[in-house]
Amino acid sequence: MSAGALTPVFIRLKLSLLRNGLRQSGGRKAAYITSAVFALLFAALQLIGLIALRGHAHAASVVVPAVAVLGLGWAVMPLFFPSGDETLDPTRLVMLPLRPRPLVRALLTASLVGIGPLFTLCLLAGSVIAVARGGAAFAVGVVAVVLALLVCVALARAVAAANVRLLTSRKGRDLAVLSGLVIAIGAQIVNFGAQRIGASGLGELDPAGDVLQWVPPASAIGAVHAVSEGSYGRAVAQLALSAGALAALLAVWSRHLTRLMTSPDGSTLPTADTAARERSSTGLAALLPPGRTGTVMERSLRYVWRDPKTKAAWVTSLAIGLIVPVFNAWQGTGSVYFACFAAGMLGIQMYNQFGQDSSAFWMVATTISSTRDAYVELRARAYALLLITLPYAALVTVLTTAMLGDWPRLPEALGLSFALLGAMLATGAWTSARFPYSIPQEGYKNVAPGQTGLAWISVFGGMIGAALLCAPVIALAIWLNVSADGDDFAWLLLPAGTLYGAVLTAAGLRLAAPRTARRLPEILQAVSKG
Amino acid sequence: MGSSAVRVQGLWKRFGQQVAVAGIDLELPAGKFIGLVGPNGAGKTTTLSMVTGLLRPDHGTVEIVGHDVWRDPVEVKARIGVLPEGLRLFERLSGRELLAYSGRLRGLPGAEVDKRATQLLDVLDLAGAQHKLVVDYSTGMRKKIGLAAALLHNPEVLFLDEPFEGVDPVSAQTIRGVLERYTASGATVVFSSHVMELVESLCDWVAVMAAGRIRATGTLAEVRGDAPSLQRAFLELVGAQGRDAGSDLDWLGGGSR
Repeated sequence: MSAGALTPVFIRLKLSLLRNGLRQSGGRKAAYITSAVFALLFAALQLIGLIALRGHAHAASVVVPAVAVLGLGWAVMPLFFPSGDETLDPTRLVMLPLRPRPLVRALLTASLVGIGPLFTLCLLAGSVIAVARGGAAFAVGVVAVVLALLVCVALARAVAAANVRLLTSRKGRDLAVLSGLVIAIGAQIVNFGAQRIGASGLGELDPAGDVLQWVPPASAIGAVHAVSEGSYGRAVAQLALSAGALAALLAVWSRHLTRLMTSPDGSTLPTADTAARERSSTGLAALLPPGRTGTVMERSLRYVWRDPKTKAAWVTSLAIGLIVPVFNAWQGTGSVYFACFAAGMLGIQMYNQFGQDSSAFWMVATTISSTRDAYVELRARAYALLLITLPYAALVTVLTTAMLGDWPRLPEALGLSFALLGAMLATGAWTSARFPYSIPQEGYKNVAPGQTGLAWISVFGGMIGAALLCAPVIALAIWLNVSADGDDFAWLLLPAGTLYGAVLTAAGLRLAAPRTARRLPEILQAVSKG
Repeated sequence: MGSSAVRVQGLWKRFGQQVAVAGIDLELPAGKFIGLVGPNGAGKTTTLSMVTGLLRPDHGTVEIVGHDVWRDPVEVKARIGVLPEGLRLFERLSGRELLAYSGRLRGLPGAEVDKRATQLLDVLDLAGAQHKLVVDYSTGMRKKIGLAAALLHNPEVLFLDEPFEGVDPVSAQTIRGVLERYTASGATVVFSSHVMELVESLCDWVAVMAAGRIRATGTLAEVRGDAPSLQRAFLELVGAQGRDAGSDLDWLGGGSR
């Protein structure tokens, strides 16, 4: 088949895949349309912002790094969302008699269809408008936009082709689950950078712009700026850099494609032998209590580290639980009571315990034959959680107090934290039994389609319940703080809060156990949808 | 042995509009290698799930060695081993860790669990992969580690849902050997399959299922009757005889493309 005939076929394939994906479910359609609207709104706002930047002394220092970040986004995107674009996986085409050159051309053209490229186009066009001055600059701008867009798309394709083996392997899918974290941390960095720029002006970006204007695809936009300034030689060099990068990327991609199409894929290769090394008992097992309690604790703790979904949830909880109180304290806007955030975030891990097992819950269900078994199972899971959360919540509270220097309030902050943790464990145990839902094991979603409502009831209902359960301790804290000589007795909140939290947890487990034992088949059904 | 290992009465299960199991009465003899056969969608998995307590029936009772599955789970769960189909294992554990976990969860002493696990891993040819995570196992290895977990507590009755599905011939032979040794000691194996040749070569007692109902039960010879093979007898029982798709595909094969 000639390249001319192949390109329209691929564009049609891309459109059908898009359409069929949407046809699968109303929820997916709604999600897609919502994200498309938001992306386009954001693109439009950005376009307006960039146009407004026109004529600003530091305009180039803004748009050049922005385009560089965009390029980086295109490079990492296929690593984290391998399933996002089915045409990204060329191994699906392996049985077709296609030559690499027309295939590259057709795939590249098909890649230009979608929201991502449209968004990129908006940003690039805005960048050109922001920095271009004069007809020559705009003429170069048109070339620059096309070149930069192609570099972005080719970059994504080349990275995907080079990593197909990783993307189709278990490790690659594990990696995808952690993508949310990277995005969250990236957002924090952007936020931090934006605050600095807000404080000291756009000139802050000049050094970055100076370097990045030589890095494709940002160099194409750098060329537009260079023409505006009259440095034609620099412009030619920068355009040539982008064009060279495009050629190199296409060559790399084409070579990887050829190799991919003619060699076995990752799923049939034997897995790396690293797993063969001795995974001996961590020594932790010896310290845990015998019987079901220790067994369940050991398994839960192993999953925190080994299961990508569980790990991502934990890292998020640990990070946010630390960042919110400590950053607020650092900026001087905090209070020791913010430290309770750590307990609250970590307590969330008790929610949907059985959903975290996925359909492997049957192994648990076949060994629970009485309320007592269910109680021990739930209690062991709570213990495993406490092993991490109790010291961590205490540490965050002490750290926050130290940063604020508000030592007299440490006991009551600790007491409130422990009471909240206890309440979260109690409501978590109960909702685990009452409102279980599936967590899909692959991809970045945390709720199976159709169970979103259930998940909301479980998590948010539970959290509100936990807050209400904590009300007596909170009331006591307020009363001690406002009454005349209450400060002398504020330390009482530490033992009182701890005891209250422990009692709540025990009661929650007692209530959840019979329900769990009675509803084993229903729980199994609810958690097996992922 | 005259007693029955499993007694099912009036078992029903409906999923929305679809009736998966439509009133089954079944009595499976103890100490036999029993095959539950039927085409895909016959209700085999649903039946086995209800029998093992993993799925709640709409109606009906199930007794295993004289104990009601739903009223007396303590007696039942200790006596049965299960290998379900389409459900995950705790795959982020290594094979050995999975056995250690499942044995201890059943209340066996740790040293005993480790001893049995070592032997099972050896016999099932998994010793080399015992420290690998189950998520990296092949289908055959998963079935074998699942079987090991189901056997670890030495159950009286073992329920296996499609234990040979997707399993290579070498692993299948290993599984077969273990199961034959196990039934020879007087234990009962109930397994489901849609591969008639397999059932014919393994089982001494068969229950044929189609469209949510039991079509025939009895020893292999009884169910086979006059038919030359179980496959033939089965096709007659489920009424799938004589569909010839030949004439519509006259272009298939031959010279022109």
